[in-house]
Amino acid sequence: MHTPITGGCLCGQVRYRVDGPVAHVSHCHCTMCRRATGGLTGTYVNVARADLTWTQGQPALYDSTPGVRRGFCVGCGGPLTYQNEQRAARISLTIGSLDHPEAHPPGKHIFTDTRIPWLTLDPTLPGWE
Amino acid sequence: MTPSATPITGGCLCGQVRYAITGPALQTAHCHCTMCRRASGALAVTFTVVNWADFRCTQGEPAVYHSSSHAERRFCANCGSQLTFWDQKRPDSLDVNTGTLDHPEAFPAQKHVWTETRVAWLELDPGLPGWNPSGE
Repeated sequence: MHTPITGGCLCGQVRYRVDGPVAHVSHCHCTMCRRATGGLTGTYVNVARADLTWTQGQPALYDSTPGVRRGFCVGCGGPLTYQNEQRAARISLTIGSLDHPEAHPPGKHIFTDTRIPWLTLDPTLPGWE
Repeated sequence: MTPSATPITGGCLCGQVRYAITGPALQTAHCHCTMCRRASGALAVTFTVVNWADFRCTQGEPAVYHSSSHAERRFCANCGSQLTFWDQKRPDSLDVNTGTLDHPEAFPAQKHVWTETRVAWLELDPGLPGWNPSGE
């Protein structure tokens, strides 16, 4: 049994629940995640798509590249999800939208080729150059 | 003050909203408040502070969300990118989401704010000074 993971956007218009385990958590340094969040990295909690339920509202979807959809709240813009159809059974939740992000420390970095050089972020995790 | 070429340009992920800043970047800070976390979906939001009068949209207009009685967060209605934060308590300045700048690498962070609510395990630029509303 897993305690449900809950979360939602800043304005509260969209809320979700995950009834299942977290596969992995990672910091993404790609330029698209940077623009999408407005932060310096996107950090994602990856779960099974079948375990995710929208308990209030639904995100709007933006197709950032063919096969990739990013979900966000139309009321406040809060980025919520990343889905790649090549991994259709999975969905990535933005960690900052979780009610308890502190419960899910990342285990790795991805797309480190485009990380910002002056940024020190969890430097002991794998993937860091 | 961070030296920078002007104008400083940036925009959202889909390109519907673009902006230019015709003045200096005053400072860049990592914000650890819980509202910025929710707004961005990131663990902390990094803002580059500019003079409000120096900022203009060169393409499109962002949507506005009033996250409190005195604060406005602007975002792209098409892709959700968080673009700016404006606080009535500091009406002459505007916080621009550093991740939306065309060259965020040119604006290294100089401090942390709202560190009381930072995520405990996060190791983010640990050498920088911090600030809290309580003064602790």
